[in-house]
Amino acid sequence: MHQDHPVKLVVTDDLRRTRPRVLFTLVLAIPHFVWLFLWSVLMVVVVIANWVATLATGRPAAGLHRLTCAYIRYATHVNAYVDLVANPYPGFSGEEGAYPIDVRLPEPAPQPRGKTFFRLFLAVPALLMASALGGAGGGGYTSRHGRSRFYGAGARGALSVTCAFLGWFACLAQGRMPKGLRDASAYSLGYTAQALAYLLLVTDRYPDADPTAMLDGVGRPPEHTVRLVGDADDLRFSRLTVFFRLLLVVPHLIWLVLWGVAVVVATIVNWFATLFRGTPARSLHAFASRYVRYQLHVYAFLYLAANPFPGFDGAPGGYPLDLQLPGPARQNRWKTGFRIVLAVPALLVNSALSYGLWAAAFLTWFVALARGSAPWGLRNFSAYALRYQAQANAYLLLLTDAYPHASPLEGAESPQHEFAEAA
Amino acid sequence: MIRRAALLVAAGAVWGVSGWLLWRTTVPSSLELPHVDPHRLFTAAQLHAASSYSTVESLLMWGGVLAQIAALAAYARWGARWARESAAGPVGTGMLLGMLGFALVWAAQLPLSVVGLWWQRHHGLSRIGYVTFVFGDWFALAGRFVFLCLALAIVMGLARRLRRRWWIAAAPAFVGLALLFAFVDPYLLGTHRLADPQLQRIAGQLERQEGVGHVPVVVDRIHDISSLPNAEATGIGPSRRVVLFDTLLDGRFTTGELKIVMAHELGHLARNHIWKDVGWYALFAFPGTFLLALVARRRGGMGEAEAIPLALLALVVLQLVALPLQNAISRHMEAEADWRALVTTRDPKDAIALFRRFVPTTLEEPSPSTWDYVMEENHPTMAQRIAMAEAYAHAPQRAARSSNFFSYSAHTESAADVVVAACSAQTDVKLCPGSSTTGRSGWTRAK
Repeated sequence: MHQDHPVKLVVTDDLRRTRPRVLFTLVLAIPHFVWLFLWSVLMVVVVIANWVATLATGRPAAGLHRLTCAYIRYATHVNAYVDLVANPYPGFSGEEGAYPIDVRLPEPAPQPRGKTFFRLFLAVPALLMASALGGAGGGGYTSRHGRSRFYGAGARGALSVTCAFLGWFACLAQGRMPKGLRDASAYSLGYTAQALAYLLLVTDRYPDADPTAMLDGVGRPPEHTVRLVGDADDLRFSRLTVFFRLLLVVPHLIWLVLWGVAVVVATIVNWFATLFRGTPARSLHAFASRYVRYQLHVYAFLYLAANPFPGFDGAPGGYPLDLQLPGPARQNRWKTGFRIVLAVPALLVNSALSYGLWAAAFLTWFVALARGSAPWGLRNFSAYALRYQAQANAYLLLLTDAYPHASPLEGAESPQHEFAEAA
Repeated sequence: MIRRAALLVAAGAVWGVSGWLLWRTTVPSSLELPHVDPHRLFTAAQLHAASSYSTVESLLMWGGVLAQIAALAAYARWGARWARESAAGPVGTGMLLGMLGFALVWAAQLPLSVVGLWWQRHHGLSRIGYVTFVFGDWFALAGRFVFLCLALAIVMGLARRLRRRWWIAAAPAFVGLALLFAFVDPYLLGTHRLADPQLQRIAGQLERQEGVGHVPVVVDRIHDISSLPNAEATGIGPSRRVVLFDTLLDGRFTTGELKIVMAHELGHLARNHIWKDVGWYALFAFPGTFLLALVARRRGGMGEAEAIPLALLALVVLQLVALPLQNAISRHMEAEADWRALVTTRDPKDAIALFRRFVPTTLEEPSPSTWDYVMEENHPTMAQRIAMAEAYAHAPQRAARSSNFFSYSAHTESAADVVVAACSAQTDVKLCPGSSTTGRSGWTRAK
């Protein structure tokens, strides 16, 4: 199902962070911002020259290719530093293998001229996805009220910014970056690097949004009590239901809102029950579990992560993308008492992921309509975002006191340690 | 067998008596409408413009109907295969199939709808952009999906529980829903307060004369999408409203003419036409759901999702068959509202001026063909409305055109008589059927 992408993210980070460096991250990064900006301006000329060369010879010019690769690596290093995905202060040359978050890029290879000629247009969907996730360095040109302005800083993706924001507090408190946030940011950087490599003619291979492939070699997190189950290989889509998907889901959204009102009331009652008994009330737990599962089914349908029209009851086992939820178990009373406050960071990450989810659904819509099947990578990204959303909802609605794990990787039964930690 | 026949006769009798009660009107049975020659009232250019516009509009409408039936016929034949795209159980799958059927109809009708918009824009009747129209239509489809799902959930839920007799319970449920929508409809309209103090005063006077209590007269701003003047009475009980489209208030109509419009709409409310509309809906709901149940049995009954595509086709065909009768009922009520307006305002001159002005502003044919009249007109023709105003103007002085003289003389012609009469009626004075939208009574035929 999956072929290795020539642009490979390499993660050798050990999660440890130095507090003073974290505290002054943005100030310390100023020289890098300036240098990145200047390099970005130079890259406009380089890319145009390389585009002409690739069109003429059928492969990128070696010197220009090397310069472009160094730029992509450097942008990744700087973004990794700013987003707290890695700890050390990066170098200014974009040298390969010199940073804990690195990108392995391919040698110049022949590229079809048709793809090269239309590269800027072909890259638009990938850039849309990248802007929702990680964002790229470089400049932008825009016009407002007839006046033109040049913006030096590139757009930052919602996911990486949110993870960096939350990670900043965690790093200051613990001296470590939470693995989930680090993995999510690393994934965003990897996708952005692939999108840049495609845009800047380093490779003609389209970016792959599959999180598992992107973070290949990164240790999996511990298994969460809220898990996705189902048929992962079923990518078939009905074109007719895809075309009218946004309208077909409307009755479900209305039912979801109505059911949601009842769930809010049930959760308030359950909060008191859990606080006093230490365990959620069985009936209320089952009621909210059905709601969370139903929500996953509906959103999987809406965001084109699954094909069939879902049922209205949230019954387990009836949908290709299903949710395994824990039964009512003992929960920590402190975590229960402050559940709403504790859930805020998870809800922020969830909200950031929703931008990516929308972008993925938007792109999948066109692909599924044309091919009758969903792209593997985008579907897996959507599944990741939906899984996190389900975990956040389960946490908020007192189904479990296990905090949502932001890592794009599925949990492993016996948690794997980071190789650096193991060492 | 005898028991069943007796039951059928009893049901028919109840239906007939109910229909007779709903059909009663305050328009005098002795009222004779004079012959109105359109060429006397309108210029040749006006008549030609109205005729050419209406011809194309009518062709587009029937093209749309054919496209709808063709799409649903194909869907009834092959649509059940989409059941495999559902993981929702029988009722949920039925909803999916219902929505897909509507979606296909939308797609089949879209080209004609766009041509229809072009035609309206060409004549300056619509100001909607094409992109806005298509996307607006697309999103309106979502609203239809919601109501369809609600209806299918009721029908299929009852059918799975009550089997063959589901329709006996479904019909009252739909009547209840019709009542609910008739009540909430005014609250869903984005209307504004009537700002003109003179019109407010007139509205107050008319309310007192009609004896309807306080009914807010509000304005619906549509001038940026249409130039068509219109008004409607809507709501029941505390939700009653008279809605004036702001295209009526743009200076093209005099105060006297606007008074006629308001009196007409208040006439609807005074004669409880919204309630009667729901009543007629109830009378059609029982036989309609029964016939649907009969058709659906060919595919295992309405409880099975596979029956939905066929049921959709049957529903559309039934509506088409009932259209002449619905139009007749609507026209009958509109004629009564016109009569109330004349009795209340005692101003046939402004009424005639208003009806005459409507022809060039709406491009509505003053005297359409019998076919158009029977199948499309849910209001009396302009010629008929002018004829009624002239009849009122020339009524015997001894009657003093008092409201008492006319108000209590019930018009007892049955609906069936009117349908038969329609087939042989002259084009200038026709009394024939039309479609009404439950919950609203408009001023002119909606384009």
